[in-house]
Amino acid sequence: MEKDLFIKKLLEAALTAGVEAAEVYTAENDSFRAMSHNGEVDNYSVASRSGLSLRGLYKGKMGYAATEAMDEEAIPMLVQGVIDSAELVEDDVVQEIYRGDAEYPQIDNYAPALDQVDEEAKLRLLLDMEKKALECGDERIKQVNYNMVNTHSGSVRIVNTYGLDLRQRDNLAVAYVSVVAKDGEHVSTGTGFGCGREFAALNADKMAKEAVEEALFMLYAAPIPSGSYRVIIDRRCMPDLLSTFSSVFSADAAQKGMSLLAGREGEMIAAECVTLMDDPHMAGGLASGAFDAEGVATKVKAVIENGRLTTLLHNLKTARKAGVASTGNASKGGYSSPIGVQPSNFYFKPGEKTLAQLMADMGDGLVITDVSGLHAGANPVSGDFSLLAKGYMVENGQKTKPVEQITVAGNFYTLLKNIRAVGCDLEFVGSPVGSPSIDVGEMDIAGK
Amino acid sequence: MLEKRIAQEVIDCALSTGGDFAEIFYEDRINNSVSMRSGKVESVNSGRLHGAGVRVYLGFRGVYVYTNDTSREGLLACAKRAASALHSDVRLTATPLKAADYVNSHPVAILPSAVKTARKIEKMRAAQAVFSGYPEVVQGIVNYNDSEQRVWIANSDGLYTNDTRVYTRMYTVAVASNGKENQTGSEGPGALMGFDAFDSRIDPEAAARKAAERAVTMLHAPVCPAGVMPVVIDNGFGGVIFHEACGHSLEATSVATGASEFSGKLGQQIAASCVTALDDGTMPNEWGSENIDDEGTPTTRLVLIENGILKNYMIDRLNSRRMQMPVTGSARRQDYSFAPTSRMRNTFIAAGQDDDEEMIATMGDGLYAMSMGGGSVNPATGEFNFSVQEAYLVKNGKIVHPVRGASLIGRGSDLLLKIDRVGKNMRMAQGMCGSLSGSVPTNVGQPRIRVSSITVGGR
Repeated sequence: MEKDLFIKKLLEAALTAGVEAAEVYTAENDSFRAMSHNGEVDNYSVASRSGLSLRGLYKGKMGYAATEAMDEEAIPMLVQGVIDSAELVEDDVVQEIYRGDAEYPQIDNYAPALDQVDEEAKLRLLLDMEKKALECGDERIKQVNYNMVNTHSGSVRIVNTYGLDLRQRDNLAVAYVSVVAKDGEHVSTGTGFGCGREFAALNADKMAKEAVEEALFMLYAAPIPSGSYRVIIDRRCMPDLLSTFSSVFSADAAQKGMSLLAGREGEMIAAECVTLMDDPHMAGGLASGAFDAEGVATKVKAVIENGRLTTLLHNLKTARKAGVASTGNASKGGYSSPIGVQPSNFYFKPGEKTLAQLMADMGDGLVITDVSGLHAGANPVSGDFSLLAKGYMVENGQKTKPVEQITVAGNFYTLLKNIRAVGCDLEFVGSPVGSPSIDVGEMDIAGK
Repeated sequence: MLEKRIAQEVIDCALSTGGDFAEIFYEDRINNSVSMRSGKVESVNSGRLHGAGVRVYLGFRGVYVYTNDTSREGLLACAKRAASALHSDVRLTATPLKAADYVNSHPVAILPSAVKTARKIEKMRAAQAVFSGYPEVVQGIVNYNDSEQRVWIANSDGLYTNDTRVYTRMYTVAVASNGKENQTGSEGPGALMGFDAFDSRIDPEAAARKAAERAVTMLHAPVCPAGVMPVVIDNGFGGVIFHEACGHSLEATSVATGASEFSGKLGQQIAASCVTALDDGTMPNEWGSENIDDEGTPTTRLVLIENGILKNYMIDRLNSRRMQMPVTGSARRQDYSFAPTSRMRNTFIAAGQDDDEEMIATMGDGLYAMSMGGGSVNPATGEFNFSVQEAYLVKNGKIVHPVRGASLIGRGSDLLLKIDRVGKNMRMAQGMCGSLSGSVPTNVGQPRIRVSSITVGGR
């Protein structure tokens, strides 16, 4: 069935069945992905996928149902699904379908030219990256073990029985290359990465070079003795940590006892040099958008300002419970997911110093460039983390030898308070979460 | 369902430009989930996943195209799009499709779709009720998920087959707090089974009790010290150590391209001689089992390592071409939006000869990791990491007190050689494993084992 007609019929059917207010959320996605190995494209995938979910208030409770099949049968199934699920929900917080804001910001997340880039150009970039990496002139680079180009173009739409009808498009190109360096028993990997809405800006040379340099630098890395070290977490690594712990700023997590920041708005929770921004209006931002997953207009705000917690992130439900206005941070993991809370473009506001200046101030210590195992080794509920890490030693302010097979352990809440300085080198690398390099003071390291 | 007649048309169309193999994977799946917090049903969600993917090969080149439009026209358009990416002078005629038969090894007595959601919620309440017996548990989360996945697979070798996979899982999380600090414990039993899993495999109360006790124990535990030490890892989810440190590196995905540290080592000693490890997709109703894999190949029981010697890799169709070795029924994918590749199923270290008590009594000073969290690995270098949910400090062969926040790191090849005890009581636990072809249900397992030295991350 034609989609507009399907949505119209579905909302009518919901109202007829006694649903008080209903909303349709649709997501459409066209994607392209190719990978290569030894100069041959060995994995090539193109797709179009769309899904639709229906949310509705029935006897004051919110029910959900979703489908990828949009046929005549789907309408009664979705409506009944919403009613059945609403009848079982016991959560007594009043929920709502949003009537809409008077104004929405203008956000441009879509570059029409990117959708016109032909597959040949994408495959050329892919094969180029692999070739450039293998022909780097250093025989210790034995292999490209992962090489990928990916583009996607999608849209979301929210239509409800109050007459709200919002649409947003976005597209993006991503390239990634990983190389393996080997010398005797020594083995290491390095990665190069690029992403953006201007395809021509993805530079095969630059990405291949990044991957090769990283692998070669890390090739002879070794653990250091266990102990307490002065540590800088660099701008490539800090976003991973911030992203993992971003849920501590969610009012949803706080209201459910899953964040220790519950009720601490107005308190100093970080060092004074720390300001944490949530900016959904950022030009070119990967999570920029005019409205959130409930149709609420998005807003720019500081979550931490000079060390003080100014606000948690809210959707309509958590805001109502807390007696405040939604911050426009409602999220959906996918078209069929329930409403949650998530930051948009989320970053530590840059300070004055370069990484070299931070290193000079530190004197002797460790710069951490990569952590792994965040999904298991970091617990947002307790704030504890203990993670496999890589990086390099700093002696007298200078970068010296590479370090691997160590763990860095600490607690995110404590880390925020111990921050000594925030660098000026903010950059977003393929993620809506960003950070400059940050001097985090002393950390516990396990090594040899 | 995917009709044979249409499948044949799609395959013929997919081969029309010179591919040498074509396949269609058609999926229709119903998912149900319920989440409960502090005893109140917070959301009930049902969804239907529906789509198909067409794959064409030419040599080592593979093309995958998927769509939600499963009408005859939609599938043919999908096949045409896949075919248009490959060109050669080869013109193969597909073998006429013939329905393949197998015996269903994973009986389901009660389909989840035949059970009212209210009865599922009753099972969740039983878990929640356990949490209220622990004053320090300030938050209890109980999630319930079931899924009925129907797949049809047909290919140009004449295969036409289908499978229904029914999954049921309950996931319990306890958050213990003293106001200043939080600790969590979780336990998530599941099975390739319907609602009858609650009669045999899923005990909501036992799961919640484990989660709550773990959270409370960890709330009172000091942080784990850092250093290199012997570690005893308990059975059940402890098997995640083999999954991360070794399993991923034995998947053809990384072996075929030579990227794995275990490439080219068949027949060689890669582990201590007390280690025998298997990947078995045939175990009845186990979380990682299925009758056929996502390429339609019957699953197998595969010995990966026997007495320390590397015997087999897990191999999918495309990589079997590269490696010139047979497929092992290990091709898996999250859903139709992923091309399949070699993945683990139920992967475990087999029971050995050693005594559980002796291995702690003779370890000196070290760590007893009673319950593991998850982990990850870089198969190219073998560097792995995982977190420990519940650990105890051991001094002079005696368990002293619990410690929190521990993680274990190392290289897979190194770790396997350092296993010096393998206990007698093998047990498995359920997890979701994420890789190239998405997130799939897998079991990890082992008896209690000891590793003579490993780097423990802590503070």
